[in-house]
Amino acid sequence: MKMEKQSVSQWVKSGDPWVWLNAGAVAISVIMVVGLLLLIAVRGLGHFWPADVMQATYSLPGEKSYTIAAERVESVEVTAAQLREAGVNLPEGGDPLLKRTLLKMGNRDVYGADFGWVLDKYLSDIQTPEMLFAAERHEWGNLYGYLMSVKEDGQVVSETSDLTPTDSALATWATFEKSIERAAVIHDEIKDIEKGDIGKINHALERIRLKQRRFELNGELTLEVEADLAAERSQYDEEYKGLQANLADLYQQINRDSFTVRVMDGTVHEIQVSKIVHAFRPNAMGVFEKLGFYFNKVWEFLTDDPREANTEGGVFPAIFGTVMMVLLMTVLVTPFGVVAAVYLREYAKQGVITRVIRIAVNNLAGVPSIVYGVFGLGFFIYFLGSGIDQAFFPEALPSPTFGTGGLMWASITLALLTVPVVIVATEEGLSRIPRNVREGSLALGATKAETLWRVVLPMASPAIMTGVILAVARAAGEVAPLMLVGVVKLAPTLPLDGNYPFIHLDQKFMHLGFHIYDVGFQSPNVEAARPLVYATALLLVMVIALLNLSAVTIRNHLREKYKSLEM
Amino acid sequence: MSEAKTHSIDISAMQRSQQALRIEDETVCLSVKDLHLYYGEKEALKGVDMIIPEKKVTAFIGPSGCGKSTLLRCFNRMNDLVDSCRITGEINLHDSNIYEKGTDVAELRRRVGMVFQKPNPFPKSIYENVAYGLRIQGINQKRVIDETVEWALRSAALWDEVKDRLHESALGMSGGQQQRLVIARTVAVKPEVLLLDEPASALDPISTLKIEELIHELKNDFTIAIVTHNMQQAARVSDYTAFMYMGDLIEFGDTNSLFTNPSKQQTEDYITGRYG
Repeated sequence: MKMEKQSVSQWVKSGDPWVWLNAGAVAISVIMVVGLLLLIAVRGLGHFWPADVMQATYSLPGEKSYTIAAERVESVEVTAAQLREAGVNLPEGGDPLLKRTLLKMGNRDVYGADFGWVLDKYLSDIQTPEMLFAAERHEWGNLYGYLMSVKEDGQVVSETSDLTPTDSALATWATFEKSIERAAVIHDEIKDIEKGDIGKINHALERIRLKQRRFELNGELTLEVEADLAAERSQYDEEYKGLQANLADLYQQINRDSFTVRVMDGTVHEIQVSKIVHAFRPNAMGVFEKLGFYFNKVWEFLTDDPREANTEGGVFPAIFGTVMMVLLMTVLVTPFGVVAAVYLREYAKQGVITRVIRIAVNNLAGVPSIVYGVFGLGFFIYFLGSGIDQAFFPEALPSPTFGTGGLMWASITLALLTVPVVIVATEEGLSRIPRNVREGSLALGATKAETLWRVVLPMASPAIMTGVILAVARAAGEVAPLMLVGVVKLAPTLPLDGNYPFIHLDQKFMHLGFHIYDVGFQSPNVEAARPLVYATALLLVMVIALLNLSAVTIRNHLREKYKSLEM
Repeated sequence: MSEAKTHSIDISAMQRSQQALRIEDETVCLSVKDLHLYYGEKEALKGVDMIIPEKKVTAFIGPSGCGKSTLLRCFNRMNDLVDSCRITGEINLHDSNIYEKGTDVAELRRRVGMVFQKPNPFPKSIYENVAYGLRIQGINQKRVIDETVEWALRSAALWDEVKDRLHESALGMSGGQQQRLVIARTVAVKPEVLLLDEPASALDPISTLKIEELIHELKNDFTIAIVTHNMQQAARVSDYTAFMYMGDLIEFGDTNSLFTNPSKQQTEDYITGRYG
């Protein structure tokens, strides 16, 4: 007994418990981070996988049985009592626990909702027929059903009555695929014209309107000027008419084909091929085909514009907006923070005032970010922005140019939010430059400013980069203030394009963080949006990691170059 | 400047062992008059009067905290960097008081170069370290800089060791090489005076020897003032020696007489090792 006691106290004395405690804390942190990443990765990335579509008969006791075709989304166990309370007519006795599955049934236009819960127990006759196809549509979500015929200009070109992969069914399918491909090409052309060419014309017309308004405001709107502007305008109008005719033609072409589909309740619907994004038969696809499809979907997610209230399509504008806003913020915050830190550390007389300023700066880093948002809205947008509008863009009033949220104000607000981090890191770096190196420079006849620029700041640059890294990490993840100063749920035109002045600092933009919030909580179709929340979250983490990684690389490079004197 | 005088110095330098130097014969480079220096309330230099002779090596010895480094840093106004530091009296470089209002301190520091105790190369290439002072002066012609860098590195007896790696980082050199690089960097701006603040105290004996040899070479072109803890070193390298104690200049004279026949008891106590 005594031996035992002694060994415990010895164990405590040896410091082992302390080591275990430390290691345990580290292990828990690592597990939590990895777990978090795994969760969002699995949930998010799984979304793009073309799951098998099952067909089954569902017959709840006491209700009419019907056939469904759906993808399984998730399953949970529920108690029978709970179900009864919810109004499900379950017979007495039986299993106290039942498995309930969420199904994606699609065909929202036919059934009203595209997701539904079923009790696995009452599913029967489950099969995965090869000819059952899924089609992603531009509107109304997925479509599940059997292809019956394909028509051109109302004339049937290929049809089948089989629900099994017979020759006629496969031939119809092939025609259908070709038709979709053709429609996709035309769709792209239409999009190019609408977004590109017509967008350019609209931009030019808007500039002409503003020009005219400016002349009007200055009282210089003579008949001559008016004639000039009218001539310019008519030129664009002409161009627009040409494009319009072109578009009408394309629309006619894209609407040429249609197909008929038999859905599960046995009804047959005729739908235009132009409404389809892709159609695929997941039950007939092999693993490699599915993989190819998967990466296509991921690519689409990364590079496409969102569709259907952000629940379908891609998030490219949000990625672009996030990266652009963070870069702009970095460009603003770095010089500002460094200059402020240099003054505080190198020039200001060290005393009570500098100490108070330092405390204030540190506290600024702790102010909740939404407060910065409010400040940005009140000061930057309403005060500065409307001032800028009055002074420089009177012709656009009453519609505001800078007097409303936009990329520039968002970047400046975030720069303000992160400037304390840069100041603190830079000051830290400056204070660590050995005195003898400064003296070495001064002793060669350099002034203080020359010493700063040529020796001290380059040596402090790794520390400055550390500050920038922290600033980027904080700014990229910030959402709350952005909602007040310029982020919107949908802004398909990017803030960087081919129209003068190329960078549109006044434009509203999309942001991944806000996108997560919007898709997750503001979406009309919660079930469809949920996997996108995870996918977008994963993407946001990756974008931030990438931004940080590049900053860390730059810093390590600088560190190597200016490695401190170890003596 | 009389040629005869310069000539006689050269001869006396060569025949130092036989013929005693006389401070009265020297051209004055720096003269210190009644110099008091205070760090806040504390008086660190208590009225120093002396001269630093031109193209000679003047050593400052004394126990730690005696004010020898402080005095050296007065010559290029390095003490200006210390906020609490206050100075009265004057120091003349040739004929102008360096503490006069309106003195261009940067220009003064170019004329009075300084090498510190710890080697402090900049985190740049060897070449850029030496070229630094020139670039500060706005000299950008590559030819001029190339020539000066080579000349300065040769003057510091470093050229042969580094000529093949001029564009590598100076931080990769040994401590002794770094210190000679710092000397080359200082020499490159062609100052009139070189202040050496314990230049060899952080180095090994062989590097120390090289620095001492270098000092012998450099005194042909520069006026040198050196602070050292090492009395043998002072005896080996200097023409004149000043012994300081507690902020006072106790004794100043030619090195031979100071070490062999000190006139003050304190000096004798110090050089015989009774304190310090």
